[in-house]
Amino acid sequence: MFVVSLTDAAGSLTLNNYRQLLTEPRQRALMLTSVVLGVGAAIFATVLGAPLGLVFARARLPAKRFLRIALIVPLVIPPYIMALAWVLLTGPVGLFARAAGRDFLSDWTYSLTGAIVVLGLTFYPLSMLATEAAARRVDARLEESALLAASPRRVFWRITLPLIGPTVAAAGLIVFVLALSEFGVPALLRVRVFTTEAFTAFAAFYDFGAGVALCAPLLVVALIVSVVIKFIIGERLLVTTRSMRLGLPLIFNRPLRAAILLGIAVVICASSLLPIAALLFEATRINRIASAVSTSGTAIANSLWLAFAGATLIVALAAVLGYGRARARSRLRVLFDPAFILLFAAPSTVVGIGIIGLWNREGLMGQVYSSQWVIVVTYIARFAPVAALMLAASVRQISTSSEEAAEVAGASWTHTFGRIVLPQLHTALMAAWVVSFIFCFGELGATILVAPPGESTLPVRVYTLIANTPSSEVASLALMQVGITIVPLILLTVFLPKKGARKPA
Amino acid sequence: MSGAFLRLLEVTKRFDERFVIERVSLELREGEAMALLGPSGCGKTTVLRLIAGLETPDHGEIWIGGEQVAAKGRNTVPPRGRNIGFVFQDLALWPHLTVAGNLDFVLQSQRWERRTRRDRVDEALRMVHMSPHADKYPSQLSGGEQQRVAIARALVARSQLLLLDEPLSNLDSDLKSALLEELSVLQRRLNLTTLYVTHDETEAMSFADSIVRMKNGQIVEIVASNQAKLNASAKPILMTCEE
Repeated sequence: MFVVSLTDAAGSLTLNNYRQLLTEPRQRALMLTSVVLGVGAAIFATVLGAPLGLVFARARLPAKRFLRIALIVPLVIPPYIMALAWVLLTGPVGLFARAAGRDFLSDWTYSLTGAIVVLGLTFYPLSMLATEAAARRVDARLEESALLAASPRRVFWRITLPLIGPTVAAAGLIVFVLALSEFGVPALLRVRVFTTEAFTAFAAFYDFGAGVALCAPLLVVALIVSVVIKFIIGERLLVTTRSMRLGLPLIFNRPLRAAILLGIAVVICASSLLPIAALLFEATRINRIASAVSTSGTAIANSLWLAFAGATLIVALAAVLGYGRARARSRLRVLFDPAFILLFAAPSTVVGIGIIGLWNREGLMGQVYSSQWVIVVTYIARFAPVAALMLAASVRQISTSSEEAAEVAGASWTHTFGRIVLPQLHTALMAAWVVSFIFCFGELGATILVAPPGESTLPVRVYTLIANTPSSEVASLALMQVGITIVPLILLTVFLPKKGARKPA
Repeated sequence: MSGAFLRLLEVTKRFDERFVIERVSLELREGEAMALLGPSGCGKTTVLRLIAGLETPDHGEIWIGGEQVAAKGRNTVPPRGRNIGFVFQDLALWPHLTVAGNLDFVLQSQRWERRTRRDRVDEALRMVHMSPHADKYPSQLSGGEQQRVAIARALVARSQLLLLDEPLSNLDSDLKSALLEELSVLQRRLNLTTLYVTHDETEAMSFADSIVRMKNGQIVEIVASNQAKLNASAKPILMTCEE
């Protein structure tokens, strides 16, 4: 990719693409919009997610398990569907405009602010989950010893918050990079950022060099942020243990508790109920569900099969990578995490262009490139790193003596890995498969670039239909996409063994 | 070579330039029980891990049953080739395998025949009185029962060298005494060469023929235990103290 960005159409060496990037006012405006989008989404997601995480870690709430699942739902709805749902709600002919008899929200919807809100509502669960995990990890003894000298409020501000602060900041940075890398939301809400411009340069003008040069700033930012995240949270990236005892509880009086529950209800409404209701309303307004299924049946079947194959191969690869990361003794291990984060945070457009540059050649690679399998390769490139980090954290939970005992007993490495390590990881493998399936099933930005002619997935089909097909049919397909994505999440939650559950005799 | 079954010669191990074990030499005759005694962090466990091949010595040699298993800064025989029984401090029972499964995994790894394996697992479980619990998972057992399974797993492949890393440290004193007595009987009956790491002097005295005291990675004292006085035939034949 990098080499191509340094050549012109005739194949001569040139820095022209990068010179334009730095000197043209249009490019500077793009940079400003991209950064404002990333920072805005990160702040929005943190302001919403961090307090929720703290509340879920330390406060008593009714139906906590259910509320947590409801709050996590936006994370499994592909961002571009969230944007589509908000267009159906607040667009010029959206539900609110129809109800009020006039369009008063579409200027806001198709704006940078609209994109920030949609991305913030999509990514706040990341901040919530990270904060909750950090608050649970705080050693209760640290807070208890401070309580001997200070009030609970002071302990909270001076001990608890500084301890969880780095994780909250790291989660904010991850949201920043994900928002900066997002293609579907700005594309649908007509916000021009680097990812949409790179897509246009590549897909509309076939200008590979300009497309790559437009990706360069995103890659640099992603790289810097990955290193900063690793620096801030270090090995905690792989620590999932909880403190033996929970620290200071958050105790609320009744009015405050009611206000918090109301706030949670509002967040659930805005982030998942309203968007899903908008899709449902639009899909059933003119019943297009049957026609949507019949005209997009191949895309739906493709998506299911490719996501299944992708998730399975990702988990197989991630199990080995994650094990290597967790057990690595080499000093090079400090490079693993930034590399994994960078690969995950790399914009989908960048990954798509990179895959084309790498696989579009003669021989076996070319055969893969011209088949459906290039989409599976894309899924692996995008999501294997995050699955590897998930599994590395779980490998850390297995005592090394468990493997040493097998080694002393005479087992080979492969025997130990297959019979001792993998069976103890079965829950994590299941979770990693479901997460990978959800990610693969919703992937749009890279798939839209690499999909061979005639091969389409559901997200690509929805995105390409948005411009020229009745919104009810698009809403039906989007609803199907959300439904298929939520089912595995619910199954995972239901069938995931509870902590401390014993195996049957 | 001397007639020792286990021999460590000037073994040194450093972690990050810090000496964990410094020029440790010791020998055990076949069937001898020796205790390594010392405070936490003095290098006792590292000695066991070096013998098992789980760590590589920086200097020195290790011999087991007349075969050199480590020398010149590398392990010449991997852990699985040393035929050692090891009871880890946290027991390291595989939680997803049943009691019988834990034992069978060892035999399967060493390519024992299926029929022989079943008989051998039954025999090892009988030795530690755990036959009724063969189909249970480790999480369904009490602490003492888990300890017995760990011991049975270490014995199941008929290893001649048994390494025990504070195996009773998490038990109450009554259970500890009972298990220690059983372990001692088994050790004598099976004529097992045994190295027992502990920081409890009473435990060491009642189990071992000889006691090696360690401090800061070095051997500082060697004494014959009460057991050794009762069993005059089993005495350490060589131990050196490097200052």
